[in-house]
Amino acid sequence: MLNKLNFLLILLLTYKKKHLSIFLLSSLLISIVSSVVFISSSIKHDIFHTLESQADFTIQKYKAGKVLNTPTKWIDEFLQIDGITNVQGRIYGTHFYEPAEEYFTIIGIDLFDTQVVSSLNKLIDDINTTQFLSRQNMIIGSDVKKFLDEYHYFDYYNFRPPDRSIEKVFIYDTLNKHSNIVSGDTILMDISLARKILGVEDGYVTDIILTTPNPQEIDTVKIKLRISHFDMRLIQKEEIKKYYQNLYNYKGGIFLVLYIIVILSFLLILYQRYSIISNSDAKEVAILRQLGWQIKEVIWFKILENIFVILSAYILGVSLAYFYVYFLNAPILKNIFLGYSNLDIQTIFSPAISFTELFLIFIFFTVPFIATITIPVWRLSTKEPSEIIK
Amino acid sequence: MIVMKNIYKSFENESEIFHALEDVSLKIQEGEMILIQGESGSGKSTLLSILGLLMKPTSGSVEIKGENIVSFSDIHTSDYRKNEIGFITQNFHLFEELTVKDNLLAPLVLHPLSPYEIEKKIENALTIANIHHKKEQVVSSLSRGEKQRCIIARALVNNPKILICDEPTANLDVKNSLLFIETLKKLKKNGRTIILATHDTIFENLTFIDQKISLKEGKID
Repeated sequence: MLNKLNFLLILLLTYKKKHLSIFLLSSLLISIVSSVVFISSSIKHDIFHTLESQADFTIQKYKAGKVLNTPTKWIDEFLQIDGITNVQGRIYGTHFYEPAEEYFTIIGIDLFDTQVVSSLNKLIDDINTTQFLSRQNMIIGSDVKKFLDEYHYFDYYNFRPPDRSIEKVFIYDTLNKHSNIVSGDTILMDISLARKILGVEDGYVTDIILTTPNPQEIDTVKIKLRISHFDMRLIQKEEIKKYYQNLYNYKGGIFLVLYIIVILSFLLILYQRYSIISNSDAKEVAILRQLGWQIKEVIWFKILENIFVILSAYILGVSLAYFYVYFLNAPILKNIFLGYSNLDIQTIFSPAISFTELFLIFIFFTVPFIATITIPVWRLSTKEPSEIIK
Repeated sequence: MIVMKNIYKSFENESEIFHALEDVSLKIQEGEMILIQGESGSGKSTLLSILGLLMKPTSGSVEIKGENIVSFSDIHTSDYRKNEIGFITQNFHLFEELTVKDNLLAPLVLHPLSPYEIEKKIENALTIANIHHKKEQVVSSLSRGEKQRCIIARALVNNPKILICDEPTANLDVKNSLLFIETLKKLKKNGRTIILATHDTIFENLTFIDQKISLKEGKID
């Protein structure tokens, strides 16, 4: 076997030009589909990681198809329901940043809530609550910083609330760019300041979040919440998860369908190329058969030869995809996946590799590839050696 | 001993059947040299292909050491070619981009040999074929005579008992043809069975030929 491998390597190195075009094309195709898999896995990983720390239910007042501010008195009502803990009102909304014509997301945070502070500490290195509350401060996402810097708002920014006043808010810190994909367009500020800037009246919040510690109680709690108020919208964490999962599976699916079409075309070209076996390939088979190589030995040799080519192409393709997604941050493909919702995406993908999907790519690419190339060789090898030699 | 009995070989195409060999019978003793002569298209190459187990006859039997090899499976015929037969052909069936040495590797990799044994066999075959000085050279850069010697070296590398030569001097000049005849003489002396098909007249008066056969339109003349 080692002698055969040695001979195979000699042939591969000598006739490398013959395999070069197929090697490069395969690498390109594998790198495209691997990039899609990397991006999709990374986004799902980041979103689900973020969602994991979110409350189980989000409740909004909903009337005539419109979302309204939610009364704070609902908080007390929900606290009365068994199985519910950690009921909180949230203030958030969007701010239109006129100079760049972009929307930022303002989130009001309660710095006296230990859970909020601990979550916040994951996003920025450390926060000194007293210092933060000593004046009107905000913590901004990396995309927000980029746009503020562009117009020389290095230290502060003046917000214009609906009451036509001016609120000067200082930049306290920037969120870690690596944190996750949902923090880029975010501005975090004290809840009362957010209320003022977004024009949310006292006695109201944007929505209410609550947690159900016992997962078995979730369905019961859901029913109780639904019958407590009919003018409300109930969003369950699991539904959001499913939504994102479907969204990125759908986007990834479109790519996979396109990829399959490309692969099939590629295999068709390959088949056409190999079904008319070139003189040099036929001569190679003829020589081997004449020298006493059995049909199965010739076929295995050709399979092995193509496995070498496709394996090298696979390794190169996956490495290129890794570099493209995690080092270059996937230009072009990133926008197709994440869209242009609020800001141009400045996200950095965190490595989240799905080995199962990579293995499937390997199988779905290699098996048809090997078959496409091997079938014509097999057809040739099974002929009488004298016929091949002709 | 090789015994061919009533060999027929015909090829069919859409409109006609072509009989390449008709009722050919012959006996070749071990260590004999047999010369098969005939014009182009007389059936020489077909006969050699059947003897070399590269082709099966339409009917008839070929017995080697008492076994009818016509009914052999691919595994057996391949094994037989691998162990017992060396081919020297007119068209240089060589890997043109490989070196002379690497060309000799192709038949050896099928055997469970150590790198040292392989090296030794290659060195030996290159010396017999008088092409040792070109062993690291790429085949495509060799002259016709050198390519022929490379083919001889490859045919001998496994130390086969039977040598099948199909028009071996067709692409050679007189000088190289005479050198080839000298090599054949040495191989015959070493006890190899040599079956040679040619229409080159240079072989006609060789003293070490044991048997001569003339083929005409697929029949022994």
